[in-house]
Amino acid sequence: MNAPERSLKRVARAASGPHGAGARRPFVDGVEKVTGTARYTADLPADQALVGKILRSPYAHAELLEVDISEALALPGVHAVITGDACDMPYGVIPIAQNEYPLARGRVRYCGDPIAAVAAVDEATADAALARIRLRVKELPAYFKAADSRQPDAILLHENKPGNIERQVHNEFGDVEAGFAEADLVREHTFECAEVHHAMMEPNAALATWDAERGHLTLHSVTQVPYYVHLTLARCLRMDPAHIRVIKPFVGGGFGHRTEALNFEVICALLARAACATVRLLQTREECFLAHRGRPEQQTRIRIGLKRDGRITACQAEVVQRGGAYGGYGLVTILYAGALLNGLYDIPAVKYDGYRVYTNTPACGAMRGHGTVNARYAFESLLDMMAGELGLDPIEVRRRNLLKAPTETINGLKIMSYGLPECLDWVEQASGWRERRGQLGKGRGLGVACSHFVSGSAKPVHWSGEPHAVILLKLDFDGGVTILTGASDIGQGSSTIITQVVAEILGVDYSRLRIIANDSAITPKDNGSYSSRVTFMVGNAAARAAENLRALLITAAAKRLQVREDEVEWLGESAVVASDPAREVAFTDVVEEALVATGTLTVKGTFTCPEEFQGGKHRGGAVGSTMGFSYAAQAVEVSVDPDLGTIKVEKVWAAIDCGFAINPMSVEGQVQGAVWMGMGQAISEETVYEDGRHQVANLLDYRVPTMAESPEIDVHIVESIDPNGPFGAKEASEGPLSGFMSALAAAVEEATGARLTRLPMTPDRVFEALHPKSRPAREGAAGGNR
Amino acid sequence: MPVMPDFELLRPDSAEAAVALHASRPASRYLAGGTDLLPNLRRGLADTATVIDLGGIAELAGIRVDADRVHIGAGTTLAALAAHPGIAAELPALAQAALAVAGPTHRESATLGGNLCLDTRCRYYNQSTPWREANHYCMKLEGDVCRVAPKSKRCYAAFSGDVAPALLALDAEVDIVGTNGRRTLALAEFYHDDGMRWLALDRGELLAAVRVPLAPGWSSGYEKLRIRGAIDFPLSGVAVALARDGERLAGLRIACTGVSSRPERIEGLDALVGQPLDDAALAQLEKLVLRGIQAMETTTASVPYRRKATPILARRLVTRLWTEAA
Repeated sequence: MNAPERSLKRVARAASGPHGAGARRPFVDGVEKVTGTARYTADLPADQALVGKILRSPYAHAELLEVDISEALALPGVHAVITGDACDMPYGVIPIAQNEYPLARGRVRYCGDPIAAVAAVDEATADAALARIRLRVKELPAYFKAADSRQPDAILLHENKPGNIERQVHNEFGDVEAGFAEADLVREHTFECAEVHHAMMEPNAALATWDAERGHLTLHSVTQVPYYVHLTLARCLRMDPAHIRVIKPFVGGGFGHRTEALNFEVICALLARAACATVRLLQTREECFLAHRGRPEQQTRIRIGLKRDGRITACQAEVVQRGGAYGGYGLVTILYAGALLNGLYDIPAVKYDGYRVYTNTPACGAMRGHGTVNARYAFESLLDMMAGELGLDPIEVRRRNLLKAPTETINGLKIMSYGLPECLDWVEQASGWRERRGQLGKGRGLGVACSHFVSGSAKPVHWSGEPHAVILLKLDFDGGVTILTGASDIGQGSSTIITQVVAEILGVDYSRLRIIANDSAITPKDNGSYSSRVTFMVGNAAARAAENLRALLITAAAKRLQVREDEVEWLGESAVVASDPAREVAFTDVVEEALVATGTLTVKGTFTCPEEFQGGKHRGGAVGSTMGFSYAAQAVEVSVDPDLGTIKVEKVWAAIDCGFAINPMSVEGQVQGAVWMGMGQAISEETVYEDGRHQVANLLDYRVPTMAESPEIDVHIVESIDPNGPFGAKEASEGPLSGFMSALAAAVEEATGARLTRLPMTPDRVFEALHPKSRPAREGAAGGNR
Repeated sequence: MPVMPDFELLRPDSAEAAVALHASRPASRYLAGGTDLLPNLRRGLADTATVIDLGGIAELAGIRVDADRVHIGAGTTLAALAAHPGIAAELPALAQAALAVAGPTHRESATLGGNLCLDTRCRYYNQSTPWREANHYCMKLEGDVCRVAPKSKRCYAAFSGDVAPALLALDAEVDIVGTNGRRTLALAEFYHDDGMRWLALDRGELLAAVRVPLAPGWSSGYEKLRIRGAIDFPLSGVAVALARDGERLAGLRIACTGVSSRPERIEGLDALVGQPLDDAALAQLEKLVLRGIQAMETTTASVPYRRKATPILARRLVTRLWTEAA
């Protein structure tokens, strides 16, 4: 076992094995999901709801001269038709980059940009109304590649962004030139990654009710960030946030698609207000692809200096991201790509130049491994290629460059725990690396890579001075403990983790605990489920809340037992006198005592990231900052059919340093999901646009892997016990994604001799790489044979 | 996904009744498993006032293995086809092709007849109504230009059924019911190379059954080029039926799918019959396959790749069957 000794203070219980933290438990909401009783937004009963529908731009770039809705409004059964006139407040998740309107005003910037919306009695009427809306436009030149947008004569998508550059980042930490001068080998290479999409299982949906008498709004939505949706609604509808209630029902996945308020949510609310009614707005899968916010098409030119022994002396990267039509999270993405070149290995000098470019395509945004994935693919790939040149083992090269925690990186990121060495050790051993690499025979190969990710962004998007997380616990006459949280369980299991944290500290039976999440009228505000923040931040808040409640209960128990508090031993379902365990008082009696003269107990726990963790002082330095990085290593075994260029991922061994596994079963699931999602990007997933039109906006043509491609994924958990995480825990679900691509590329190289420098490695691209004399395949074919 | 449009649903109990219903309601469509038609209805690719459900017609069900042929009702599900021990043993290409269609849940409802009559597919056609409208439609539906080959007078949408090439290689024939009675066609006569009129069915005619001869000494197989191991339609598919007599090829039939608007029987293979299957023969075979296919940009996967890989797929399948027949 690689993990250090656990120093958990456990509640003294007779039962064997962990009860709360560390227990392998099914999800608290698993029963509803498995039995089909869980209600997702589209399932919510609303008999009287009008049907909302959106008219989207058929143009990639055009001036909107006129949107004539008169005929649509005249259609019987139509209750509201709205256009860009309905909202003149631009929105966007980053306060300094708000340039998107829920319905276009004056200009459309991508095929699919919402122009108008209707609320009607039924679907057919809504469709008929959309068909009666007349557009008059002046088409503008449109740009579908970052390079085209950056041409000097290109017209600007947004007037305040010269060169169509949404954000450029230039920074250098350490002396890069000196680093390269000192190196024995310097190599530079360019890696290309296609744009990918989250393909979350549940399509977008919202249900909005307008209370005409009070002027209040209630919105149910599929969001990962109900709080940001709440703020956005208040802004776009110019409403007092106190008059808005946002509820997140069960949500079927997000992966970053829903980490910002999306146009359909605001449009649904605008329609409800315009119609003075309840409006249900269901989005097709195509519309989900158009809302997008996925990982951008990215070109990464990377340069690394290595000493003969494998020590990295310097790294320089230039990243160009095709960001799409609006800001969204874009500036964060381009900052992440540079910031997290650091924090995985010990690199003395890093120079980064990043360009986020506006184009007439759907806006990109956050997606699992936000900003780091494509840069990691480039870095790890080049490191492998150079190791090959120097005759060094890829695992050994990585070992030469390990960090030692605690430490601080050259760009001001704090690293408090670091289980990467143990991750590498396990992957090496489990994959049979030493014996099997190079011995697998023709057409088969093994590759390895490392990766990392933040456990919550240390500086939230909306910096308000509030704690990063708040949890409330309510204990009442019935002896039940209700956990109130704003943290969004989107299928990742956050409600389960919070419940386990509380169960660990209170020691009570799970049957006493219930969790209520995500109703702004009931639950405390939470920043949302993004940047893998919930386990770390909300978990810590939950631990504080449970400790606060336990302290009250121990006081009450001491009173009942007529001893001092420090003489009480808390057993969860009862309390005893430590020196005389026969003197016992049951939990329900303790509760009765605790409620005397005060009634229902509500206690709070909060968590705040101290300022010293909030990143370097340079501009954009907050991005990438966190209190705990997860670390991962993975080995991928592949077989390649060289005749047809088809790849089969045979097996993956993935090790994760998640600090401490509050629920090992859930950690394993998250790691498998991350590896699998990385595999999708590596082997088959990509968006395709033709003249700006999304060619593959459905789950048949956008090729998410099926079970047939899904390999066995062995997961190993390394517990480095982070000093600040709850029970030592860090994130587990994003870090393991980004190692996959380069590990696969290395494995394919061993199998075939060809190094693929473009993603995804579809059969046509692999075929092209293996038969370089053939005519070029489609754009995106891979690099040559070696 | 858009809602299903309203339509009248009828469920006749005989093929004749179905054909009569169709004749009385010109804007009607036959429904078997629905895996092709229903998504197309939702997407606005098919427009119909009446759907005639063929599920209640006893004649369309069942597989019967006779001494010299297999009779398969057009309503047989692909799952049943793939699982039938007689078919797996005698007509492996057919079982393999049925198993290669879509995913397990599709195959539970998708039928043999439905797969043979599968609508042709294209990246410009299989899109939502707003998408096609924004793209000014295409020749196959509501437009007048083929977006794949804008100068062409015909539509190049690709036939993408997996089962048809297997049955072509196996020399199957089909039974058709119409208002004027019944007729039988060689499967090769059942298709035209035209993305809009790819079936030789007259208006209201119904595909009732498939008959496949059992040819002793022949072996067969089906291989499919695709990006994912399930769900995907073929980038191309190759079916081979082969007979070996000692060191000589005694018979060879190859058919491909996904590479033109109909399943393509590869012509000219007779020249190889009676010869040993040496490298020259295999090279010739690859040439004939390449000549017989016409992959167009109907999918987002590279056309040069589909053109190059299809002959390789054929060569490998032929080689495997040849070796196994030794």
